[in-house]
Amino acid sequence: MIMPRGHQLLLPAKPWFIALSLLVALLINMVVNMSLVGNAAWVPDFLALVMVFWCIHQPRLVGIGMAFFLGVVSDVHQSALLGQHALTYTGLGFLAVMVHRRLLWFSVPSQAMQVLPLFLAAHCLALTVRSLSGAVFPGWELLLAPIVEALLWPLVSVILLAPQRRAPDPDDTRPL
Amino acid sequence: MPLGTLDRSPPAFFKQGPSAISKLLFFSALSVLLMVADVRFGVTQPIRAVLSVGLYPVQWLALRPQMLVELGNDYMQARDVAQAAEWQARQQLLVQAQRSGKLEQLALENHQLRELLGLRERLETTGVTAEVLYDAADPYTRKLIIDKGLTHGIKPSSPVTDEHGILGQVTRVLPLVSEVTLVTDREHSIPVLNTRTGARGVAFGETGGAPLLELRFMATNADIEVGDMLSTSGVDGVYPSGIPVAKVTKVERRAETVFARILCEPVGHVQGARHVMVLEPLTDKLPPRPPIDKPQPYAQAKGGRR
Repeated sequence: MIMPRGHQLLLPAKPWFIALSLLVALLINMVVNMSLVGNAAWVPDFLALVMVFWCIHQPRLVGIGMAFFLGVVSDVHQSALLGQHALTYTGLGFLAVMVHRRLLWFSVPSQAMQVLPLFLAAHCLALTVRSLSGAVFPGWELLLAPIVEALLWPLVSVILLAPQRRAPDPDDTRPL
Repeated sequence: MPLGTLDRSPPAFFKQGPSAISKLLFFSALSVLLMVADVRFGVTQPIRAVLSVGLYPVQWLALRPQMLVELGNDYMQARDVAQAAEWQARQQLLVQAQRSGKLEQLALENHQLRELLGLRERLETTGVTAEVLYDAADPYTRKLIIDKGLTHGIKPSSPVTDEHGILGQVTRVLPLVSEVTLVTDREHSIPVLNTRTGARGVAFGETGGAPLLELRFMATNADIEVGDMLSTSGVDGVYPSGIPVAKVTKVERRAETVFARILCEPVGHVQGARHVMVLEPLTDKLPPRPPIDKPQPYAQAKGGRR
């Protein structure tokens, strides 16, 4: 296995953990939307973030088809135009799969810099689709969403890779 | 270190599946198809219904933290606050009792007058109360999701009000929840009546960021002032008449246009409503529309002259 020098060898990712993390991301999206802010353009999309993370780290488990399905689910929850999120998530998944070989050779902060254009493109695509279907521009705070998503990348990297960083043979000195 | 702790699966050299670009094209085409089906043909209702029923437990779970916080707040609320609220409610009750007494008398009087005039009875509507689950997260529209749906007998295009005035209209009914388009949504329009002058007009959702309505197509010299109340006029056969809709907040008369630009603030709490009332749409109670005689070509009407 070719991998960057100095990187830790990771345990295999568990499919149930990936599914759980996607579900939790959907739940976070819902809690933020339902209880905290209502409809605002600047709110980051946690589901897209986690999905891109897994598309980059486990492209054989989470791919474009999964992205499409999550997009349709998002559309139904947000009661947006059906297919809008599906299209943007499909595009995001594709871009993530395209960059996944290159991206993991960089440090986490520069990974965050490199996923920023991905999220920016996704939000631009969503805006274009809605403009074509006759909606008005929701405001410049829309640009804040991809930036917040990119800023959350290091946090997500730490949390979602933590189970894979555990010791392969736990004992009393390394219980986890 | 035991075997199998590291990811040892060989890279997929031969079993690659479809390429990423072909998957992208396939799923993008599928998304575009969904969008067209949603916007043009409106045939995606079953997909939404099935997925929304599947999503309902997740949404239920996502609402738990908020419920807990609200429960805690209610519990912590001091007794004197509750007493003050009760005192206020009693005062209100007194005032309302007086008013309701008057109302009966007025209703009787009105009934007699209407009979005298030979008018049709004012339409009475029944309603279902519902709780607002959440604002739809889509920043491009103004919609609410309420906790009553097809299984509770909600019908599409039912008007929705809160205790202050009209909130909007049910635009999509799913099995367990329904979607209410607010009066401030850009695609929503509502026929209104100026209660001071009796002038009828149509109010549209304002396109800007603030939740406002715009009263369009009123002439520059129309009699309208800041502070005028607008209520539903009932001419559309959807909204019952006489429910407050909005209050005029700004009238801009410009010399270069024929119409004044009139902005109104909705009376219903479009951003903070918790409990709403879903009324029956009036369309069922109105007499059917008279058939429209299709204009016949002149030649046929005259008996086959060419």
